[in-house]
Amino acid sequence: MEPTLQILNELEQAGVLGRYAIGGAMGATFYVEPLLTFDLDIFVVLPETPAGLLTLAPLYDALRGRGYAEAGECVEIEGVPVQFLPAFNPLLREALAEARETLYEQTPTRVLCAEHLLVIALQTGRNKDRERVRLLNEQAQLDRDYLTSVLQRHGLEARWREWTS
Amino acid sequence: MDELNREVAKLFAAKDARRRRLAALPFPEKIRMLVQLQRMAAPILRARGRDVRPWNIGKLDRAE
Repeated sequence: MEPTLQILNELEQAGVLGRYAIGGAMGATFYVEPLLTFDLDIFVVLPETPAGLLTLAPLYDALRGRGYAEAGECVEIEGVPVQFLPAFNPLLREALAEARETLYEQTPTRVLCAEHLLVIALQTGRNKDRERVRLLNEQAQLDRDYLTSVLQRHGLEARWREWTS
Repeated sequence: MDELNREVAKLFAAKDARRRRLAALPFPEKIRMLVQLQRMAAPILRARGRDVRPWNIGKLDRAE
């Protein structure tokens, strides 16, 4: 996965991406037991076009230019299908801004922090997100005060109580 | 019956301990395990109609 992250770093340095961080099942795997997934979810801040639009098109163009083909909703980069997810709401923007810097072997990267991954799963609200919330709650070392503050800021305390009662 | 319950409780506790050990592994090690999981799960998922493919990560193959 290291070459995949190196390409993402190059895209960020070139300004094609504003900022990126690993999320989804791969992000959760950073904190809990390995979770089965077949794609790498990358949350991104996209640079605005001159018309003020946020679009993945320039990113896809840059990847195509490097020889990475789209496969369904993903782009396969160095053997790993990557799904780019724009940070489209305040919770995701906050999660990206506060993502944790880390090294994957020798390559710097970012992973959403465990508290944000949990609250994003709570907000997304699918059945599989319930399982992710449970795993993060049981296995990740959560900062409970910070988690409470994120839940409050994004109005998700009631769902948290409902899912964990 | 109590003996059986004690055995089952021991099994669950061991499973829980294993999961916590897995959670504490370094991230690259978890990725290697994930690709093994993908290789195990892909044929089953494909038989159920899901179009999935394990990651083609060269470094993993060298580590095996």
